[in-house]
Amino acid sequence: MKSINRVFSVLFASILSLSVFSSCTSKPDDTANSDKSSKTLNLFTWDGYLPSDVLEGFTEKTGVKVNYSNFESNEEMLTKLQAGNDGYDIVIASDYIIDIAVHEGDIISKLDTDKLSNYNNLDPTYQSQYYDPDNQYTIPFSAGTPLIVYDPSVVDIDITTYDDLWDESLADSVVMMDDARNVIGMTLKSMGKSMNETDESILEQAKQKLLTLKPNIRSMTVNNIQDLLISGEASVGYMFASQAALALEANPDLKIVYPTGGMGFGIDNAFIPENAPNQNNAYLFLDYILEAEVGAKISSQIYYLCPNQASAEFLPESYKNNAALFIPEEFLQDIEFIKDVGDTTQVYDKIWTAFKQS
Amino acid sequence: MKSQSLRHKKQTNWILALPMYIFSLIFVVIPLIYVIILSFLTRDETWGVVNEFTLSNFIRIFDKVYLKTFLDSIQLAVLTTVICLLLGYPFAYFMAKLKSKWKNICMLLVVVPFWTNALIRIYGWIILLRTKGILNEFLIGIGILDKPIKILYTYPAVLIGMVYSLVPFMILSIYSSVEKMDWTVVEAARDLGATRFQAFWTTTLKMTLPGILSGVILVFVPSVGLFFISDLMGGGKVMLLGNLIKNELMVARDWPFGAALSIIMMCMTLIFIGLYRKVTHTKDLEGL
Repeated sequence: MKSINRVFSVLFASILSLSVFSSCTSKPDDTANSDKSSKTLNLFTWDGYLPSDVLEGFTEKTGVKVNYSNFESNEEMLTKLQAGNDGYDIVIASDYIIDIAVHEGDIISKLDTDKLSNYNNLDPTYQSQYYDPDNQYTIPFSAGTPLIVYDPSVVDIDITTYDDLWDESLADSVVMMDDARNVIGMTLKSMGKSMNETDESILEQAKQKLLTLKPNIRSMTVNNIQDLLISGEASVGYMFASQAALALEANPDLKIVYPTGGMGFGIDNAFIPENAPNQNNAYLFLDYILEAEVGAKISSQIYYLCPNQASAEFLPESYKNNAALFIPEEFLQDIEFIKDVGDTTQVYDKIWTAFKQS
Repeated sequence: MKSQSLRHKKQTNWILALPMYIFSLIFVVIPLIYVIILSFLTRDETWGVVNEFTLSNFIRIFDKVYLKTFLDSIQLAVLTTVICLLLGYPFAYFMAKLKSKWKNICMLLVVVPFWTNALIRIYGWIILLRTKGILNEFLIGIGILDKPIKILYTYPAVLIGMVYSLVPFMILSIYSSVEKMDWTVVEAARDLGATRFQAFWTTTLKMTLPGILSGVILVFVPSVGLFFISDLMGGGKVMLLGNLIKNELMVARDWPFGAALSIIMMCMTLIFIGLYRKVTHTKDLEGL
């Protein structure tokens, strides 16, 4: 009896540890590794960032099945890839983290654009950016800029600049993204400085200015800021393009402001990580999302600016008429990316902590 | 014979507990060692950490800004605990004195919310409390208010969320103390001429002290770390220790500082549990 007990418990222990291990990470399909002509593609990005009809269309066209794994944040994505690519073939993530990943090395593999027949559909304005000046690694997937949105039926003033957010009449009625770099960056912009300022005395001034904004803040959140504006909880919002677009669609009377003094900008890109098991399928997928019609399908559903210039004719009217998505050229002249600021990140963190607890 | 079978039992016990030991080693001890080592390393300029020993992560905690986060967190935790105690004690006391049928129903009502995800329940509160939400519409409808009050995204809203989420822990631990209390002691006090209040103060309260203290710990400790409540119901305007640690890891990419903060937080917890053991002379928390 005793020996059976022992065998049983050792077995149980190993089963337990095994099952817990395998369930704690969302693992892509491993069966593909050995089979060169495999029919799977492991996609790694935010939840819901690729519309299901696009994924279905891809499977229909190529016969390749898509395994969708998602991450919560860019940082989580990079941490996972750095621990060793677990089998992902395509990753879609933001500009600044791609910049870091390129510098870290051995994370992103170089693209062979000859394999992409639709490569020329891309709008060159979204290419050759700081994180990938020679377009060696990335395919722009979507772009956006933070915007001010307000309800003119409740707000008495005409909002045109960042400084207007400080107006006394807006007490307890502004919602913002809960994002240190964007909010501090907006404050720096209002002072005519760069969003990536590293001069500590200027950052100190920005902190003092930001602290005086607190009485106007109703709420700060990351997800679904537009709901607060639509439900009337707040009357002004500083939010990302897709959220502004959704707010406008729900309530066409809302007003979109392209703040004078320069706007922030961001581009999310697709890339193939090093050691992707299904490289060929990854190229098939990139080529597919670069198709004019597919590009239009994606942008019109996820509500971001479309980096595919061939998609223009396929974009629905409602998309083209949305002021958050169709931004006049002249306002896109003076844009700035939020970049990694190295050790100054700690200064930003301190400003943010002080702002929140004030 | 008897002693032999006892020894035999001890041996098999050890083997049966083996999975538990392995489990704790992999999921508790190793991560803990990792966090401790991490807290003495240096943040890399852009990403990750470099292998340079430093104490600066712990020194930085004494920066005015971060100290205030500690104080704010403790203040909120104390307020939450006091309110939970004031609400939870009478509830648990009377629940323990109910007939067993009603007792079970009451117990069910306390436990049922746990069947739903905490996040979803907090969203429920948001719908209830927002400016054009159910509560405001109702109060305006029956004429108590003439314009909506702003509760959501204020400090009291965070407090409501905290108390709501944690009060069951207080109720359950006090309940288990009251449940096994020796009522003859209270009767004796009354027989000896104590008023109801005196009897409660000198006997009931003393006998339920382990339950109270364990409730206090079960409420106080998590309330320092429940960052999603202050994010969702406080509109991200309150910075607690949990929020700060989350920010260090996810936003500032300062893992060593995040690790140092976590260690201080764990030490605080250990001190509280140590105090509990000292005061009650028991090893385990009541009601667990």
